[in-house]
Amino acid sequence: MSIRFEKLNYVYQAGTPFEHEALRNVTVSIPEGSYTAIIGHTGSGKSTLLQHLNGLLRPSSGRVTIADKTITSSTKNKELGELRKHVGIVFQFPEAQLFEETVVKDIAFAPKNFGKTKEEAEKIAVEMADLVGLPANILNGSPFELSGGQMRRVAIAGILAMKPDVLVLDEPTAGLDPKGRLEMMQMFEKLHQQQHLTIVLVTHQMDDVANYADHTIVLEKGEVIAAAAPKEIFKDPQWLLKHHLALPKATKFAYELQKTGKFFFDKMPLTEKELAADIVDSLKRGGNQTE
Amino acid sequence: MGEPIIEISDLSFQYPQQEREALSHLNLKVSTGAWVAVIGHNGSGKSTLAKLIDGLLVPKNGTIKIAGTQLTSDTLWDIRKHIGMVFQNPDNQFVGANVEEDVAFGLENQGIPREQMIERVRTALESVGMWEFAQHEPERLSGGQKQRVALAGVIALRPKIIILDEATSMLDPEGRKEIIQLIKNLNQENDFTVISITHDIEEASLAQRVVVIDDGVLVQNDKPENVFQRGAALIESGLDVPFSEKLKNEIKNYGISVPQQYLTEKGMVDWLCQFVSKN
Repeated sequence: MSIRFEKLNYVYQAGTPFEHEALRNVTVSIPEGSYTAIIGHTGSGKSTLLQHLNGLLRPSSGRVTIADKTITSSTKNKELGELRKHVGIVFQFPEAQLFEETVVKDIAFAPKNFGKTKEEAEKIAVEMADLVGLPANILNGSPFELSGGQMRRVAIAGILAMKPDVLVLDEPTAGLDPKGRLEMMQMFEKLHQQQHLTIVLVTHQMDDVANYADHTIVLEKGEVIAAAAPKEIFKDPQWLLKHHLALPKATKFAYELQKTGKFFFDKMPLTEKELAADIVDSLKRGGNQTE
Repeated sequence: MGEPIIEISDLSFQYPQQEREALSHLNLKVSTGAWVAVIGHNGSGKSTLAKLIDGLLVPKNGTIKIAGTQLTSDTLWDIRKHIGMVFQNPDNQFVGANVEEDVAFGLENQGIPREQMIERVRTALESVGMWEFAQHEPERLSGGQKQRVALAGVIALRPKIIILDEATSMLDPEGRKEIIQLIKNLNQENDFTVISITHDIEEASLAQRVVVIDDGVLVQNDKPENVFQRGAALIESGLDVPFSEKLKNEIKNYGISVPQQYLTEKGMVDWLCQFVSKN
């Protein structure tokens, strides 16, 4: 299911002294089946854009098209509800939204709400728990006795239980320890590849963009300033610097190496593995042969 | 480095209805003006330690001394004046209707005269780059901006010790860099003692000392370079190692012999250049 924003503007507190234009003339697409990263400095409009994806906000002007649904400033609230079955959003710290007595009941809440019977909903819940890697023996226990990482998985399973086509993740690994973060990112990767979910990842972690995304949208002060593959985005450090964006660690290191004049990279590496391979190649050839 | 400002001996803590202790027999001294990073996987007891230091939790066993005074229910309120805490989730920390009022809240509580208060609020907000947002509602700020305001609220109180409980985890890279730079300045110029509980290994590598806690036990308290040398063991216990160390391992996997000791990124660049020149 592809998503398209056209000439979208969004203004907070319009007509007051606090009026603030959060999105300006945004025209951009999120391709179907893609793993799209949305990056941008704090306050660049990422969260505002996200909230348009399932009708939590309506454009002030312009439109969002999701599959065959078009949302404009005059779309009725009732029609927005339909969108939420297609686009599931995992907000920051989703575990704060858990409330049920047991893990299964919590995950089953949304499908029940969307009209499934208790049995159907709980069956879906058990499947989703498995999908996010929750062990079966915790399903009938309280979600509040789980670790932070597991609680977050419960919350994500609850979103997946709505069977969305698009999974939107807003800084999904914030607060997890490095191991938990890696496991979580691998889980999303699996959902992307095996369940063919379109993933939209809002992140500040350029390494996650480099490792997982195949498409990148860069926002600045409410405007889209670039939309391309990560390799394209990270190939111009001057441009990134100008827009206050970081490089993936491996890419940054490669530029540092290149500055010494002893190493040269044809294509800038984005990940540790690519970097190590390039370096080893250079070491075997005895450094920059073109020098 | 002066007298220890924090002295912890044989500290243990257990949450009710938990089978094992969250912290066991922990000993730690922190010198005045030090910058200490505390690392450990989720649930290792890092935050419990911070809460014990601030008297938010009462130990099962052991003692905590802050600036020479033992922490008890009688000394608690005086000791808290020495400590400013910034937590991970800024949404739980706001009390003011706008940014300026929020930063002023702690000062009002301490009965600081108005003139002085205005000045301190302004300085604190300027130091975190949020002065232009003084009149904004906190709800309208992004996560990173909120966290800077929370930090300003603490700076305005001028405590001796600042405890950051994963306070940079929600900032964007540039915001994080700014805050870390800010912490560095506060630590070096204003003599704040900084305890930073963090998963950001690059941040930890800038601290003077790194304390590693694993399942409630302090397993290491050393200079960053000595801690990061234990690369594989750190990763196994759910932690991370700096980028340079990971890269070194990747290169080692190709059968190239790499130096044993921990190299910073700069050190790694130098070593690679030497290697390539030699061959």
